[in-house]
Amino acid sequence: MDRGWRAALVELRDADGIPIDQAVALPYPAPRSYTGEDMLELMVHGSPWIVGATIDALIAAGGRQAEPGEFTRRAVANGKLDLVQAEAVNELTAAETAAQARMAQAQVSGSLSREFSGLKRALTDLLAGLEASLDFSHHEIPYDRRGTIAERERCLEQIRALLATATAGRRVREGVRVAIVGPANSGKSTLFNTLVGRERAIVSPHAGTTRDLVEAELEIAGVRVVLQDTAGLETSSDPVELEGIRRARGAAAEADAVIVMWPADRDGEPDVGEVEGQPMLRFRSKADLEPGGDGPAGWVALSCRTGRGMDELGRALEGVVSAEVVDLGGHVAIAERHRYALEGAKTELEMGDFEVPELAAEAVRTALESVRELFGEVATEEILDRVFSSFCIGK
Amino acid sequence: MVSNGYDLVVVGAGHAGCEAAAAAARMGAAVAVVTLDRRTIAQMPCNPAIGGIGKGHLVAELDALGGLQGWAADRAGIQFKMLNASRGPAVWGPRAQCDKARYTEIMARVLRGLRGLEIIEGEVVGLLTDDAGVMGVRLNDGRLLRARTTILTTGTFLGGVLHSGDESRPGGRHGERPSIGLGAELEGLGLELRRFKTGTPPRLKMSSLDVDQLEAQGGDETPRPFSWRTRKVTNRIECWVTRTPERIQGIIKDNLHRSPLFSGVIEGVGPRYCPSIEDKIVRFPQHREHTVFLEPEGLATESVYVNGLSTSLPADVQEAVVHAVPGLSRAVFLRHGYAVEYDMVAPGQVGKDLVCREVPGLALAGQVLGTSGYEEAAALGFLAGVNAVRAGRGEDPVIIGREEAYMGVLVDDLVLREHVEPYRMFTSRAEHRLLLGIDSARERLMAQGVRLGLVREEMFHVEHGRWEDRRRVRSALEETRLNPDRKTKETLREMAGIELKTPSSWAGLLRRQDVDVDRIAAAIPGLGELSGEDRRIVVGLLRYDGYLARHRREIDRVRRLRHVEISRSFDPSVVPGLSREVVEQLQRNRPATLAEAERLPGMTPAAIAILAGRLARGTEGA
Repeated sequence: MDRGWRAALVELRDADGIPIDQAVALPYPAPRSYTGEDMLELMVHGSPWIVGATIDALIAAGGRQAEPGEFTRRAVANGKLDLVQAEAVNELTAAETAAQARMAQAQVSGSLSREFSGLKRALTDLLAGLEASLDFSHHEIPYDRRGTIAERERCLEQIRALLATATAGRRVREGVRVAIVGPANSGKSTLFNTLVGRERAIVSPHAGTTRDLVEAELEIAGVRVVLQDTAGLETSSDPVELEGIRRARGAAAEADAVIVMWPADRDGEPDVGEVEGQPMLRFRSKADLEPGGDGPAGWVALSCRTGRGMDELGRALEGVVSAEVVDLGGHVAIAERHRYALEGAKTELEMGDFEVPELAAEAVRTALESVRELFGEVATEEILDRVFSSFCIGK
Repeated sequence: MVSNGYDLVVVGAGHAGCEAAAAAARMGAAVAVVTLDRRTIAQMPCNPAIGGIGKGHLVAELDALGGLQGWAADRAGIQFKMLNASRGPAVWGPRAQCDKARYTEIMARVLRGLRGLEIIEGEVVGLLTDDAGVMGVRLNDGRLLRARTTILTTGTFLGGVLHSGDESRPGGRHGERPSIGLGAELEGLGLELRRFKTGTPPRLKMSSLDVDQLEAQGGDETPRPFSWRTRKVTNRIECWVTRTPERIQGIIKDNLHRSPLFSGVIEGVGPRYCPSIEDKIVRFPQHREHTVFLEPEGLATESVYVNGLSTSLPADVQEAVVHAVPGLSRAVFLRHGYAVEYDMVAPGQVGKDLVCREVPGLALAGQVLGTSGYEEAAALGFLAGVNAVRAGRGEDPVIIGREEAYMGVLVDDLVLREHVEPYRMFTSRAEHRLLLGIDSARERLMAQGVRLGLVREEMFHVEHGRWEDRRRVRSALEETRLNPDRKTKETLREMAGIELKTPSSWAGLLRRQDVDVDRIAAAIPGLGELSGEDRRIVVGLLRYDGYLARHRREIDRVRRLRHVEISRSFDPSVVPGLSREVVEQLQRNRPATLAEAERLPGMTPAAIAILAGRLARGTEGA
């Protein structure tokens, strides 16, 4: 057994010697285990009673159930994972889309950790050079002002590149928001339901009338998309409808992309309200009622009934998704905690007075502390607690 | 034969021992100082200088508290230099090269003149102990000296072994016996000893150097004394600089097997910041040359210290290396370089009062506690001496925070962190470096010196006036407005090369520009009346402003934590996030405030923050 990783068939018995199950035991001797400690995995038959009895027997023998995230916490404590990797274990087990899983996998494998450590190393070297010029100036180590400023620029570039992935990270984690807007009776809900039926739904539509917002979560091109159906953009005196319109405009303003529906048999264009910068996918709906071309330039004819225009819509949505989740070129998108720390480091480096070496050292030291926070190396206990308390699963 | 009891026995009369004994005696204690040889009081066995960057900060602080080292260096000094003078006040490092013999003579005279202080020649071979801890020492001639507190400042003498090339022999310093039995006694008391190593370069004969091949290096134009007790100091000598030629690499590499450092004879850990020349050649082969400073060791001696060529290579190799250096081809050796290995007491075993936690009555200071350098030793010795007196009076020990002074950083680092090499002070060790410059040492610590009875009150008032003047000028700089009218613009351009574009205060302008302070002094209200140094302090600190404010906020936060009380019923074991070690320390020691909790070993800033959060939320943990 001590060579490890050799499965054995074992008989499990409880404290009174009564057999529970024939099980396969797989030992992972330290340090070649997930936590870096001696671990043993038991594979029992899938009966809930057998699982329960096995756990009871283990507890009777002095064991206890792991606390949420405990195995990962131990892996961090034993140096098997760093904090950045450990965070992604949580995301990996909670991943709902291909993009989320890919991003979490890359982070667990350490590619984000490597970028952060590279930054940490660069800042540490920079600080070491500065400190040497302050503490050993009599040993002819002058303050290399130009070199220091150039190195600061390199660190800043790296930080900016990492920060640029934050938006993509948020899109992958929280989803790309697409709102369907248009006048009442323009076929918004029909399109919404068609899309929900057509794409893989992560979360089915929430209950609610169209006066409110109806949302569904879909996976399009491997990315989570939050699709929103909204109230018709009509002038109305009904306070409930007015509230619905207000929300519709709000959803359009906050969405990453807007699908505008305008019935093929109507003239003019709808007033979508304040929509700035987001891509607008414009569709002449109910095209089966009004056969002919796409209508005015920039509009595409769409019919949920005949399927006309649906492929264009699908391509347009994929286009939106890939534009929002930019190609990171092998980078892993950072999460909110990372963004906060990196913003801190960036501000320190940008604001620092690099004409004066002791002030440059001050700025680099503070920036380095921010980066070290990423790895939980500052105020370790607090950060570890914060990170690990968000774990809701056993590993 | 048993002496009448002393308040304090100090074992060793080096830099730590002298400060400990002098401070305690001046505070009114009855002190015995035991030294192997009266002639070696306050000896400088290595470099002939006091101060430097970080070390000079310690000397300035010690002086503000009433210590002697800076004062003695002023009197024995033969060349004064402010290191980092071109930079801001936080990193100025005063350094005085000293006449070694004179330094010893001055310090010995002070000790002899102090009432209540007795110098005893002899070797301490054992400690007197009872159930309550250490209660004095036993000398080799059988004498017993009883004291409430015993301070060990034995330097490199505990189990000392000197290495020079193939030769190793017991010794504490060149020509002096080591102390053999004492180490075993300490281990018997349960103290953990570790082995450290240090080294010293050869000494050459001044008249044998070819001065015309060396570059002369003088002191500062306006030499600055360390001490508030000193009015004026003078440069008396020049030093010399040369560089090692590339061919010494071959000489050293061919003989590395004869170096005790590389042959495995020396097991102790040496300081990385003070490498021997053989270390430098091996670790930095890309450096073709190494600078060598030739520093005369006094006015009445021919001895020259070869700074940069510390070595324990065999004598013949040392000679070959030195003779290869330009200007040293005919150099006569007065003494060869050597390395010394010695036992030190792992400093995690003492509290911040420098008393062994498990051995009451026994305090340690200086190299025996794992430091390196005369300045670190003196600072620790002073604190140990002061605290011994205070303990005797039933008063709280003086414990200086790391945000208050380098002396606080020194004690904190030694007691709370692990050390793999002799500890030397650097400014980079201080988180609040910008606040801890020598410019503010007196403002930070002199009042404490007065309270201890070691600084005369009228001197405090003189200094107080000086920093008040600086403050006044600073306010004036903030308040004076400069408008970019034609006349002002022209004046500024001519006087200081400043282009004024938008209205600004003088302070605002000086924060953004590098300006020769002396050129503008006349134009600025009050600035012209300050001394040159005070001018540069006022203007230099302007530039630090934003960071200083941030440091002060952080310090305030830490200090507030210190006033948080911990109730007797508080149960640390239910506080999430505390390591088991911390919980155990809290349970065992039952600190009454966070300030006390902070002094426990293993206590991290994070643990204090967690505790503070918990205590601030009320009695949950009770």
